[in-house]
Amino acid sequence: MSHWIELNIGPVHPATHGIYRFRVKLNEETVEDVDITIGYLHRNAEKICELNYFVNNTIYFDRMDYIDAMNMEVGYLRAVETLIDMEVPERAQWIRMIMAELSRIAARMVGIGALGLDVGMLTPFFHTFHEREKIQKIFVEASGGRQEVNYMSIGGVYQDFNDKIIEEIKEFIAGFKGKLEEMVKMFTDSEIFWQRNVGTGVLEPDIALDYGVTGPMLRASGIPYDVRKDSPYLFYDKVNFDVPIARTKDNMGRFLVKVEELRQSVRIIEQCLAKLPEGPYFNPKAKKSAMLLLKGQGDVFTRVESESGEFGVFIRGDGGVKPYRVHARSPSFKNLAVVPIMTKGSLIADLIITIASVDAVAGEVDR
Amino acid sequence: MYKIISEETDKSGMKVLNIDKSDLIELMEDYKDRKYFLSSITGVDMKDHIDVIYHLHNFDKNDYICVKVSTTDEKVPSITKLWKAAIVDEREQYDLMGITFEGHDNLRRILLPDDWVGHPLRKDYDLNKVQYVSVDRDGNEHVSFDDKEGW
Repeated sequence: MSHWIELNIGPVHPATHGIYRFRVKLNEETVEDVDITIGYLHRNAEKICELNYFVNNTIYFDRMDYIDAMNMEVGYLRAVETLIDMEVPERAQWIRMIMAELSRIAARMVGIGALGLDVGMLTPFFHTFHEREKIQKIFVEASGGRQEVNYMSIGGVYQDFNDKIIEEIKEFIAGFKGKLEEMVKMFTDSEIFWQRNVGTGVLEPDIALDYGVTGPMLRASGIPYDVRKDSPYLFYDKVNFDVPIARTKDNMGRFLVKVEELRQSVRIIEQCLAKLPEGPYFNPKAKKSAMLLLKGQGDVFTRVESESGEFGVFIRGDGGVKPYRVHARSPSFKNLAVVPIMTKGSLIADLIITIASVDAVAGEVDR
Repeated sequence: MYKIISEETDKSGMKVLNIDKSDLIELMEDYKDRKYFLSSITGVDMKDHIDVIYHLHNFDKNDYICVKVSTTDEKVPSITKLWKAAIVDEREQYDLMGITFEGHDNLRRILLPDDWVGHPLRKDYDLNKVQYVSVDRDGNEHVSFDDKEGW
């Protein structure tokens, strides 16, 4: 005898980590089907980008993955700079890399902390947000913005690194290494955390590829694909780092992949700081008076590795000062679409953990 | 066998294949056999026709290619049978660009409410016409041009 319940989760619910609506069809406590409604945060950034000059659009990309704003800017600027043939000075590229990795750490701190919350562990959340706060202080020092930074611009960055910022980053990295191990121990020492995560939300690699899943989710399914390694941008080919994978394909695998990537990010930042050259931080061709006259013609599609996966930007220029069409291939959009497959036949409680482990950001899903 | 109209390289160094839309399924099947996966679908409104751009990715060879078709009647065949990633991508392009993907099982709006009027990414979309969305007790969204309706 089966007993059907249709349960509504969201749009505003702590477990959804953003604004989505899950309509779950339950057979007693077993999930039979999940219907995801998205679009509550839809602002149509792609249309807004068509109405603006190339230089104005970085702020709309900031607000896509709003917890990982630096990587969104890198993604947009990689496409624009390819389109309009703009060279970026070496120092600016190293600075961008440091900021992108710091932003990745800050975003992961939210993801991991929230995963802990959903399991019922309050403590790690405060520790992760304490570390995130330190990164945001560095962002404020460099750009003036805490979360929506608008730091990078066509041809370089808004402001050069001064000694104080470099000192702060070094201090943060020195403290973070030990702190990270302490935080990871908090998770992995907990019996409940293991029991809730091991074996739940299993994603087979062939399904992941079929659904276009990328990022830590794909790597946790055993496929070592990382844009930073496979098609290097900025100077990722000049630093040493590893791409971790997990064979377990479950939520615990995803957690461990994310943690290992944090260690690799720290490694990248240390190498960047050692290699940071002197020189201009801005291409003089893109100075203020020339900004609005930058013209682009043709199609480009470039991609970067953001916090949640492969973030691609397509731009078509018609030779004018504004883009003709901008399209963002957002990783969270694809990652979220696979949740019904991952949770079919599991318990309702595992659905909540799986949503937290997918770590889709509403701003990026809806754009 | 499918016929490639022209082959070019775009600014980011990616191979671009221009094909007729009647050859689309055949070409995609060929690339699926060669272990390519769908990365994204983009529609571009060129006023007299719509370009539909597919980006495919091979993880083993780390190769990206771009397939372009153009349509004058806003219809292209669906590739959801080949890659499941196309389900959400085609729904998104239908929603925002108004491209009908023939053969898609569940082609409805994904980001905007179901009864929204118009497709915002079209160049002739009127941005001054405001549409109001209200949500009823069951969470279903209703769209109206009248701001009082639903309250």
